[in-house]
Amino acid sequence: MAPSASLGGALLIGAALLAGLLPLFSSDYVVLVSFRILEYAALAQAWNLLAGYGGLVSLGSAAFIGIGMYGMSKLVIDAGLPVIPAILVGGGCAAVFAAIVSPALFRLRGLYFVIGTLVLAQALQIWVFNWNHFGLNGSAGLFLTNTAPTPRQLYYMGLVVAAAATALLAAVLRTRLGLALRSIRDDEDTAQQMGLWPFRTKLWAFVISGFVMGAVGGLQADYLGKIEPGGAFSLNWTVDIVTIAIIGGTGTVIGPLVGSVFVIWLGEKLSNHPETHIAITGAILILVIRFAPYGIWGSVARLVDGLDRARIRGRDG
Amino acid sequence: MSAATAASVAAEPLLKARALSKRFGGVLAVDSLDLELHSGETLGVIGPNGAGKSTLIGLLSGAIRPSAGEVYVSGQRVTGLPRHRIARLGIGRTHQIPRPFARLGVLENLLLGRFYGAREGAREARRDCLAILERTGLGDFADVPAGDLTLLRLKRLELARALALEPRLLLLDEIGAGLIESELLELIELIKELRAEVESILVVEHVIDVIRECSDRVLVLDWGKKLIEGDPDQVLRDDKVTAVYLGTGTRARLAPETGTAAVEESPPLLQARSVAAQYGHFRALHDVTLEVRPGEVVTLLGANGAGKTTTARVLSGMLPASAGEVRFEGERIDGRKPHEIVRLGIAHCMEGRRIFTDLTVEENLELGGRTAPSAERRERLARVYELFDVLQEKRGDSGGSLSGGQQQMLAIGRALMAAPSLIIFDEISLGLAPVAVEALYEKIAELHRQGVAMLLIEQNVERGLALAGRAYVLEKGRIALSGRPDELRSDPRLRALYVGEAKGDT
Repeated sequence: MAPSASLGGALLIGAALLAGLLPLFSSDYVVLVSFRILEYAALAQAWNLLAGYGGLVSLGSAAFIGIGMYGMSKLVIDAGLPVIPAILVGGGCAAVFAAIVSPALFRLRGLYFVIGTLVLAQALQIWVFNWNHFGLNGSAGLFLTNTAPTPRQLYYMGLVVAAAATALLAAVLRTRLGLALRSIRDDEDTAQQMGLWPFRTKLWAFVISGFVMGAVGGLQADYLGKIEPGGAFSLNWTVDIVTIAIIGGTGTVIGPLVGSVFVIWLGEKLSNHPETHIAITGAILILVIRFAPYGIWGSVARLVDGLDRARIRGRDG
Repeated sequence: MSAATAASVAAEPLLKARALSKRFGGVLAVDSLDLELHSGETLGVIGPNGAGKSTLIGLLSGAIRPSAGEVYVSGQRVTGLPRHRIARLGIGRTHQIPRPFARLGVLENLLLGRFYGAREGAREARRDCLAILERTGLGDFADVPAGDLTLLRLKRLELARALALEPRLLLLDEIGAGLIESELLELIELIKELRAEVESILVVEHVIDVIRECSDRVLVLDWGKKLIEGDPDQVLRDDKVTAVYLGTGTRARLAPETGTAAVEESPPLLQARSVAAQYGHFRALHDVTLEVRPGEVVTLLGANGAGKTTTARVLSGMLPASAGEVRFEGERIDGRKPHEIVRLGIAHCMEGRRIFTDLTVEENLELGGRTAPSAERRERLARVYELFDVLQEKRGDSGGSLSGGQQQMLAIGRALMAAPSLIIFDEISLGLAPVAVEALYEKIAELHRQGVAMLLIEQNVERGLALAGRAYVLEKGRIALSGRPDELRSDPRLRALYVGEAKGDT
């Protein structure tokens, strides 16, 4: 095993322990900030599966999150479903949506795919704004009827979702699907000439990623208690996810987690100066792309593995 | 293969193409071609660059959709089937220009075909793929990212990956290019072995020895049409084939009397002294000292892996020297950036052409002369078009639509646009038809007459020596021999480096 993988494993275990115990000794404020970190960690992980491993750079994240939020809310309000099943079914709604739009989206490649996903999400937002049927309530939005969750309840649900998203990604990477996805990223045509049907692989990745994003959407709806199209389908989701994944390091399992902790923590530190916050995040993004194109974790992993190779060579002669 | 299957398929060919055509824009790359390939048969396909050989492989493997005509595999019409379905019927192919999954490990590159093409379980797949890697000489590279392999190893990976599909039909597109004699013999042995395992093989190759040794039948393509088809020996002796493909065997020879004495007195244009270089921790060059005088042609010889390409990369600034110094016109240039070195007057025609496939021919050329004022640039463009008239004909076409030989001319033309006083040519005849190599070397001789100095890296020893005033031989990152061509030809050490080299020359 590469030393960076061992380091990553140790880091994951340490982080999981810390995350499990954190609410026992922290204020509500810290717990809620950590909840956001966990939400974004799961989202960035889902995006990482698509873009980092599959080369499918999607700017449509907001669509899946929004569908998860609306799906979960409707189930709670109209069907009286408990929160946790509602969150899961909300994720399922987003996954189904991913499957429905796949045949059209995967006709597009490269930059056209990127634009296609962006247009899809924006169109969906406009549609929900203007649609008053099915009890979606247009721009007024919906109010959840369940009892509001405590910060600690939210936190632990977030922890489960983030851990599950990470475990799901790691599991996918060990299977043929992971290999297929990475080969499509490198050369889709050649992969097809080796007997792989790219559509099916991309569909799976899109559905899995859609499910995770939808589930986080449901979680967010539970946290807010009120949803409306402007927030649910906000482009901010999409942009924040890309920022976090790139700063942390795409194409790695640890990167999105590191990115989420770093970016959300930074945002909190600068929360009294919102303009400065955006400017600084932007500057960091530029610096990372210029000087550490593999992101924070990608650069650390390369450094560690490089040192190790040098050590082995030194020992051999 | 058993006699029973051989008999049963005698009626139905494994592969049949009927009136197959492919049109790219206004060009008919393949023109109503009929083709049959029976079980147990190996078909060699030769033809000049641009004859449509790679297009044919693309059509047969389903990568390219035909404009007209059909392809049948064991009687089943496959035209219009999705490409992965065709692959699963057992058609494996290699690419002339390797297309590895660059960020996947070498073993992973093969596993994909095993999982999805040959439909095999994980454990068996791993074992079988490792065996294929051993067999194709990549056993030590299983975990290396494919993007880190050298060009020749990438070609092996192409073959290994095609084999991972467990193909019934293997389509090989120029896997012999760039190999030295001993490697070629290995390749020929491997193909002969494969003939017993794979039902049929189609080989596109410029290395005539491979065609002669391995194929039962040879098909010569010219302008997308069948020129002649038949027994290898007969076809290779045919006058028409000589005319369009093999060439007359004459070599552009530069009289060293173009003032050798004068050349020797002038101060060196390029001088490398005790240069060393490494990739990461791997030391590719240990001690290279060489010089090129103004207007001189110097050839750099050596086996694959001796450090020829690395030397070229150090001289043009693409790889930093870890020791020693490089001077151009007396000025230190090691440590300078590649774009600065080009402006000083050293152009580098890299191995593998490296043209911009999405840009037009003219745009490719314009990029080569970016720094020149526009009047000067137009003049240089005119000179390049004068030298390579085919580029002028295709000035508006995309670089990727050119044939291999034309791409090579484009790469040279682009280098000339910088108006260099020295050009480094790295394996420019790789993958070219013999007749195209001849034409290319005539152009190079012409450039030499115009006073451009050259450092020529060439697999084909005779070709390099015929042109050069002086030669260096690299061995394991060191200069092992140097001298005038006539001195080197008689040196037994050179022959030891290239076992029976003359055979590879057609």
